[in-house]
Amino acid sequence: MSNTVLICDDAIFMRTMVGDILQQAGFEIVGEAETGVQAVEKYKQLRPDLVTMDIVMPDMGGIDAVREITKFDPNAKVLMCSAMGQQALVVEAIQAGAKDFVVKPFQPSRVLEAVQRVLG
Amino acid sequence: MDSAQYAELFLTESREHVSAINHSLLELERGVGGDEPVGAIFRGVHTIKGMSATMGYTAVASLSHELETLLDVVRRGGSTVDARLMDLLFRAADLLERAIESAVSGVDAVDVLPMIHQLQSEAGRDSQTFLSMAMTAELPVPGMGMGMTAEMPIPGAWTAAVPAGPGMLVRVRIVEGTPLKGVRAFLAVEAAKKLGEVGEVSPPVEALQADAFDHDFALRLTTELSRDDVIAALRRAGDVDEVSADDAAVSAPLVEAPAPTKATNGSSGNGGNGATNGGAVRQQRSVRIDLRRLDNLMNLIGELVITRGRLVQLTGPVDDPALAETVAQTSRPVWQVFDRFPRLVRDAARSVGKPVEFTIEGKEVELDRSMLDEVGDPIVHLLRNAIDHGIESPEVRREQGKPESGRLTLSASRDRSAVAIRVTDDGRGIDREKVLQRAREHGLIDASKTELTDEELFRIISQAGFSTADKVTDLSGRGVGIDAVHNRVRSLGGSVDIRTAPGKGTTVTLRLPLTLAIVRSLLARIGDETYAIPMTHVSETVELHPQIMHTLKGREVLMIREQVLPLIRLRQLLHYEGDATRGLEQVVVVEMAERRAALVVDALIGQQEVVVKQFDGVQNGLTLFGGATILGDGAPALIIDVSSLL
Repeated sequence: MSNTVLICDDAIFMRTMVGDILQQAGFEIVGEAETGVQAVEKYKQLRPDLVTMDIVMPDMGGIDAVREITKFDPNAKVLMCSAMGQQALVVEAIQAGAKDFVVKPFQPSRVLEAVQRVLG
Repeated sequence: MDSAQYAELFLTESREHVSAINHSLLELERGVGGDEPVGAIFRGVHTIKGMSATMGYTAVASLSHELETLLDVVRRGGSTVDARLMDLLFRAADLLERAIESAVSGVDAVDVLPMIHQLQSEAGRDSQTFLSMAMTAELPVPGMGMGMTAEMPIPGAWTAAVPAGPGMLVRVRIVEGTPLKGVRAFLAVEAAKKLGEVGEVSPPVEALQADAFDHDFALRLTTELSRDDVIAALRRAGDVDEVSADDAAVSAPLVEAPAPTKATNGSSGNGGNGATNGGAVRQQRSVRIDLRRLDNLMNLIGELVITRGRLVQLTGPVDDPALAETVAQTSRPVWQVFDRFPRLVRDAARSVGKPVEFTIEGKEVELDRSMLDEVGDPIVHLLRNAIDHGIESPEVRREQGKPESGRLTLSASRDRSAVAIRVTDDGRGIDREKVLQRAREHGLIDASKTELTDEELFRIISQAGFSTADKVTDLSGRGVGIDAVHNRVRSLGGSVDIRTAPGKGTTVTLRLPLTLAIVRSLLARIGDETYAIPMTHVSETVELHPQIMHTLKGREVLMIREQVLPLIRLRQLLHYEGDATRGLEQVVVVEMAERRAALVVDALIGQQEVVVKQFDGVQNGLTLFGGATILGDGAPALIIDVSSLL
């Protein structure tokens, strides 16, 4: 059975791109979220094997969402998607429970490596 | 991966963000909403940065990066929001928009460097552009962060100082060019913590997090695990180039080492694990569809409507909400077009030095997608006209006892099966004298005329090239005003109406059908032919009793509830021979933009949804008809263009 993924990003563009990368690698995209609040709700509902999480989102950012998700499921596997210049935020996200991170612009190979590490 | 396939998605989404950014900039300028506008602008710019970097659009990515940095300073209260800053932000947003368009189209390359320098100096930083680091994550990041960059590292050599204390000396080198290598190092330290007790880290963790190190770091690890296990575990932290673990350095007694902690993460025991969320989470899904597919779908639905018409004739009425739902899918809320107007009004008002308070009402009203695309330009015309000609200068307004700021309102409202879009200003109104004078000069009206009704006024200013403006400005007065608006709106099957009062202002109303393709119509018969009259314009039907007919100034009129309506005999208008054969003729009272008339037909058949097929080339004499349709029985019917009758 393929691994299930929940993609959280406020940009459709990014969700599409991450979704394409993961889908081509055989993952099943079971849900998408545009806000942190949605991400938490959908995690509880869908219980995906993997979550990709943008940091800057409206209506609860990615870091708080990681915190909430980890509180709900300490074994949740969250991969942060960050941009250049966000090191402090990524560190905070990892302290909040995220397992790894990728940096935009995304390269499929890097995304998949990070995913493998997270699911490892 | 081929990025080109994402270009369209990028463009659509970036445009939405630019529009939202402009909206928030206006809020910021007005000082409403507290911190939220800055936060919203920041998020929008940040998203554009991420997307453009992914697309490899360097100019857009660098510009948005600098804009984001400045916004962060503003957000933290490090820069006061004054007129100068607003001006810079507005210009930056404009440039960002142009850079996005040019990046996608590949033409008109935009030079973003001057703006980048301005943004940097505003944010109070020395010029260190994002250009070098933005695009290729593979390239090493030069001079980021603080200090420690002086010497070029010798490849393969360990540069980090040896940390003091007991435990295995573990050295880790991060792959060169790894983005956010500091965080990567932090992850490696975290991984080490799961293997045992981590002692001193060199450079210290804080420095690592801030990227202030040269690709490698060292730490002391007290663990029961073997050297190889440690190396293998740390390699899994990702982007690790090389790991060395030095057993020889182990001098501390292993017995004192604590048992390796299990790799659990975060706190357990927090409530909520067991309780699965039983309540269904409401899902709202939206998809993006190629317009061509949607148009195809609309065509197919059109065929379905025709077929349904046929079936209804055989079996009786059907009311299928699913069909209405499908039609609704092609509708879009007007804000998708309206949202760019506040910015436009602001700029236009500034350029003529008139303060204008602009309000938008009825943003959520929906309109056919293709119509929405078309209606933007006419509205821009009207807004600019109002600012340029309608609203007076502050001095004049003060003299007349009006508030100095002009009021300009754009509203959309649902009006039965039409949408009314109104542009209202509280300016000077249209100068009838001036219009009359110009009209005489141009020979547009009888030279003896001394007064104009609203209808005549409208007819004159709708003529191509007519302008009363004393001078042509950047904004309007080029004579492409109302006539352009009128033509466009008419081509969409709508109508334009103007009400103006001297000194009080002008309201222009555009009335547009909800959808172009399917129109609920009243079918009427004249002779053997069937005609369709769009229900949008039908206010009522009555029988043509002789007692309601009168003659006024030699013209036939109808008296309905003390209202006098001009009588139009369709039979005569269409050059039918003879009279209606049996029974009483029927009257259809049609209305459009507060004008009404009584249309006499032979008989009424009923209501039906008809699919409008436009004429390919409209020829002279066809202005009476707005298109044709195919009825349920397969017979064609002409659709009457009510606006041409009134």
